[in-house]
Amino acid sequence: MDLATFGAIMTFALELEKRAAAFYEQAARGSLEEPFTDLARKANKRAKRMERTRREGVQEMILEPIRGMHGDDYRVELSSDGDESELLNQAIGLVETSIRFYQDAALKIPVKEVARTCERMAKESEKQKAELQSLLV
Amino acid sequence: MTPKVLKNYIDGEWVESKSGELLDVRNPATAEVIARVPLSTTDEVTSAIQAAKTAFPGWRETTPFTRARYMFELKNVMEDRFEELAAVIVKEHGKIIDEARGEVRRSIENVEVAAGIPSLMTGYNLEDVSQGIDEDCVYQPAGVFCCVTPFNFPLMVPIWFLPYAISCGNTYIVKPSEICPLSQILFFELLEEIDLPPGVVNMVNGDKRVVNALLESPDVEGLSFVGSTPVGKYLYAKAAEHGKRAQCQAGAKNCLVVMQDAVLEQSVPAIMSSVFGTAGQRCLAGALVVAVGDVYEPLEGMLVEAASNLKVGDGMDETVQMGPVVTQKSLDRIRGYIEKGIEEGARLLLDGRELQMEGNSDGYFIGPTIFTDVTPEMAIARDEIFGPVMGIVRVDDFDQAVEVIHSSPYGNAASIFTTSGKWAREFKYRVQAGNLGINIGIAAPVASFPFSGMKDSFFGDLHGQGRDAIEFFTDRKVVITRWF
Repeated sequence: MDLATFGAIMTFALELEKRAAAFYEQAARGSLEEPFTDLARKANKRAKRMERTRREGVQEMILEPIRGMHGDDYRVELSSDGDESELLNQAIGLVETSIRFYQDAALKIPVKEVARTCERMAKESEKQKAELQSLLV
Repeated sequence: MTPKVLKNYIDGEWVESKSGELLDVRNPATAEVIARVPLSTTDEVTSAIQAAKTAFPGWRETTPFTRARYMFELKNVMEDRFEELAAVIVKEHGKIIDEARGEVRRSIENVEVAAGIPSLMTGYNLEDVSQGIDEDCVYQPAGVFCCVTPFNFPLMVPIWFLPYAISCGNTYIVKPSEICPLSQILFFELLEEIDLPPGVVNMVNGDKRVVNALLESPDVEGLSFVGSTPVGKYLYAKAAEHGKRAQCQAGAKNCLVVMQDAVLEQSVPAIMSSVFGTAGQRCLAGALVVAVGDVYEPLEGMLVEAASNLKVGDGMDETVQMGPVVTQKSLDRIRGYIEKGIEEGARLLLDGRELQMEGNSDGYFIGPTIFTDVTPEMAIARDEIFGPVMGIVRVDDFDQAVEVIHSSPYGNAASIFTTSGKWAREFKYRVQAGNLGINIGIAAPVASFPFSGMKDSFFGDLHGQGRDAIEFFTDRKVVITRWF
């Protein structure tokens, strides 16, 4: 899927957060129950933020075609089956994709307010990545 | 399933029209009939005017703070139903979902500005204009107002007017586009939800008979219109004949001047959005690209490549970048202009008629079209085509570019792409068009600024939106006071 419009990028972000929330909710068990429940809450909050950004960041003046972003480059396979180590590695893969996606989107979207939101999303994902990595050891 | 017949909204109630005349409302992406709109009778117009007139005294006495709170409520319900509003626009008009979201956003921005009415409507005074005498100027609502609006921004254009009108304490009647009436139906459902007193807002579907009845009524104070130049000119004259104030925003043929020093990598996407956004069906759309000097060579190739890459399809598909045009009649007209352009000697670089659609074969689709070697006297340079057709005009210098702009009877919008402050300043100073863009393809004023327009693109003196809206929807009363 070509992410060639503002709406396509925003909707992709929204879906990414919704999928993340669903994954964390389903995989929250054992020692991962507390951190994943917290991540699910955060993903739901981030989904709402992206929905608001899609609603408020759209501006006719600069609604220009966007080139060079493809949904396939940010595909993540998620399964809530597996042991805790597998689940953690999936979560780390998810946040790494999320960091890459938001950093790329921040460069492509010509609305500073939206770009700043994407940068904030990427920074939050970086923090989540560090937290998840600390659980691996 | 039988398409539903739309109702009017009069005196706080949804009312079936007694008219037997119905028009089909179609989804332009599929040509499917999605509703039927009545061409209401003059009696129904009279009922709406009577309801608005009766509601006016009570609504006028409602404090501006309370009227502002209705605007806050309206904003909230519009935010809650944001995606639904956008989807209805796509379904009836065909524009892509991002463009529809932009339309909803801009509509809400107007409601937000109107919510500032306690400040916006404040008058002014001066003590001691003569010894012991004070003078006050108060802004007062004037009565019943109405709007007649086009298909291309079916939600937003009525909202350029209605929130300001009723916030000022007037009552209102909307005559929506008969081609795209559905988003107004949904908007009025939201107005019903915020529970305005009956008669403050009314909607009558129909055609020119409704418009004439509104203008001929002595109980209507003023008209706001957006549409074509011949109709705008006619309505402005008719409004004056019947002693009404009017603001009539009309047609356009907008030029995008590209200077030799323009940053083409950033200018070309802006030009794409300007010319092909909403399939060229907006009064701010760029129609003529005026290439100055040797910028032509690189620009031509970049424009054709970018336009060839635009994905055309059903606007509900998030990946689509250009939707269909609104009706079969529009499609036929645009095809006719392409034929005419060829006959007049313009060179066709990209032919939108060759567009191959996967599915949606019944929709009113045409691809981006680009002509070059266009000269100002050609019909494709003079007439408002209102479709995704770009004409490239080559000129030697800035002065010639300004001549091309001024050769048009219209003066709605114009843009320049340049890195030179000198040319930008000259452009701003000299060009006779109401909405100017400097490295902006769509010079669309935000809600707190007037949506301007000059020459045959606007008839009136006060524009829609912003401060002008407050002036239009009020009378200024001067009170001179002396106490003995």
